[in-house]
Amino acid sequence: MSTRWYPIYQRGNPQLRVFLPNFWMKIVRPAPKQLPNVVQFQCSIEMTKHDIKNYLEKIYNIPVVDVRTKISLGKFKRDVGKGYIVKDDDIKNAFIVLPKDMKFEYPNIFGDKDGDEDQEKALDEAKKSFKNYIDRNKHRPDVPSWFTI
Amino acid sequence: MYLNRVHRTFPKLKKIITRPQSQAALAEQNEYTETPEYPPILDMSLKARKLRERETLYQKIKEINTVEEKQIALNMPRYYGWKCVMFNETRNPYNTMPLVQYYTRSHFIPVDKLPDYYNDTEEAAKLVVQEIKALVEEAIVIENEGIDRDFPVTNESSIESQKTNALAQSIVKQINRIITNNLTDKLDHILSSQVDIEPRHEAFWFVGGVDPPLEVVRWRKQYPWLKDTYDDPIDRPVQYIGTPMLTLRGKLPLKPIIPYSEAENPEFKVPQFTHTPKTVGYFETHRHGTNIPGYWPGDYDEFGLVSYHGRGHIRGESFGDQDNLEALHCQAMKASFGWLLAQANYQGFTTYNDLTYPLVTQTVVTNGQLWSLYAYQLNTIEMHNDKFDSNPKNNVCFGTKPFKLYDTIENGKVQGLNEEVLKMLVKFYLNTPEERDHDMKPYLGKEEQVVADIEDDNRRSWLEARYKHLVANRPKHFLLPEVYLWEKIYKIRFNTRFFEAKRRPFEKNVNPFNRRLDDHLPPYIPKVLRQYPRSKKKFETTYYPKV
Repeated sequence: MSTRWYPIYQRGNPQLRVFLPNFWMKIVRPAPKQLPNVVQFQCSIEMTKHDIKNYLEKIYNIPVVDVRTKISLGKFKRDVGKGYIVKDDDIKNAFIVLPKDMKFEYPNIFGDKDGDEDQEKALDEAKKSFKNYIDRNKHRPDVPSWFTI
Repeated sequence: MYLNRVHRTFPKLKKIITRPQSQAALAEQNEYTETPEYPPILDMSLKARKLRERETLYQKIKEINTVEEKQIALNMPRYYGWKCVMFNETRNPYNTMPLVQYYTRSHFIPVDKLPDYYNDTEEAAKLVVQEIKALVEEAIVIENEGIDRDFPVTNESSIESQKTNALAQSIVKQINRIITNNLTDKLDHILSSQVDIEPRHEAFWFVGGVDPPLEVVRWRKQYPWLKDTYDDPIDRPVQYIGTPMLTLRGKLPLKPIIPYSEAENPEFKVPQFTHTPKTVGYFETHRHGTNIPGYWPGDYDEFGLVSYHGRGHIRGESFGDQDNLEALHCQAMKASFGWLLAQANYQGFTTYNDLTYPLVTQTVVTNGQLWSLYAYQLNTIEMHNDKFDSNPKNNVCFGTKPFKLYDTIENGKVQGLNEEVLKMLVKFYLNTPEERDHDMKPYLGKEEQVVADIEDDNRRSWLEARYKHLVANRPKHFLLPEVYLWEKIYKIRFNTRFFEAKRRPFEKNVNPFNRRLDDHLPPYIPKVLRQYPRSKKKFETTYYPKV
């Protein structure tokens, strides 16, 4: 569903614009720990429980038993440079209950940290050589690196 | 004359000036023993000290004499009430059975007929059913077709469910009337029993072994000495609230279904449910914990016989037949456990002081046509955080699937009345309570068991009023403490108002919700009302239990 109209003529380019739907859902790692048959999504704040249910059932053929939603407050942060406080958008969290014999585990996308020992080693080496380079040149600032014996 | 009485005016002088006598008079005693006597070696780690603190609290509550004072004592740590998981009788979200079983520590046994415990009354029940069959049929027809029901509709649940419950309640009232009328001259316990219509059933207890919420983990992480305890389980206060359509209660308790020693049978297993209750769909509110089994402490008919509950909340097909069946089981387990726990509290046990004998109740969940019957034995009520894994006892619930009492009503006649169902129901009434040969109230006083037994007029009336006010759970006169959102943003999250005086509780590092129940000024006594001739007592006495 989209609240935008189908491309009406606009002057200028590009003439063909892509209109994305207002409804979107993003799967996230659940917090706090949920039951194995519960999946947490973040979704468009305009979506109602019925929309969420239809979205998953009609597009992805997922059997949805129950939907619980919660709108959580966006994060506050201090604007870098200006110093005043700004707020992120609120997020709608949807907890989808699947039939109890189904299981969903949030995948480990980036793999285990311990697995990449070689990579870490290489990174350490690089760090060390960079530090060497800085130490070597600390008494001659503003001199380009190629200007050396 | 000692120092010309100067020491009265300057009391510190007394310490400086040595005693005039050479030695204090000492009674002759030998402080040496054959073998050295050392004080016990105590574990002084933080965990052990906290555990000892809690154990003294449990002991203090155990030693309190009256039921009401014990209930106030349970609520002493929280002025604004506990943050309770609300366990409503009719709230059964999807897949709630594991949670309900763990929170009530109930092992559920599905059965097709009542357990063998009821076999003695088989013949008597058959006779009674033959006598009342026609009356029951007539009552069902009249309640279904002969009455144009008009009842006040509330917004709390759907109209459909309220209609179902209203019809069920009238049928239950009729059937209860028919059965009790038939049995009163045969059985003493029916003659003397009391019928309550829509009584107030509330129960409060602590459940341990539940994952801590994120806020608690975050709080623990700020203290390095709590490093090993980040994920330690915490206690959850749980409040059950239910309204049966009708209950029967009497002076004596029912016989145990299984012997009390069986309570520790490892076959009765209740798996631990560690997820936070929010993940299933149970939410929390601040309220004082209450234990009310439908009457006030001191009532003589203090043991339940049967309770009838409506099933209007069962939602058509939405979660499927299997889940609806489980919802019924959950409702029955909650209702039975809640009622028995409240009864146990009136016997002087609390969530901290475990039962010393089993209690039994019988529960019926019905909409007039479908009847499911449950028999529940309460063996333990102690499942708080210090005991959840060391307490081997479990409660046991026997439950049937819903049976149809009749098929249809055609031309003013009931078709296919199921006598088996009626017989099972009659067996619940024929189950005769018995006097137990042990002390029923080991943790209550000998003279004072309820507040009404207290002789001191002031103390009695104060405790009575305080107890009733506490369990009424009325809103506070003043608004609850609150951190406003602007404060959260501009004072807590970002320190943008550092120049302002720090007056709010969060700025003084105080959690207002940790205020104790007795942490308030007692009522002021105006000068004209103070005792003659002269009294400096400005505030009235309070009689909070000392825990």
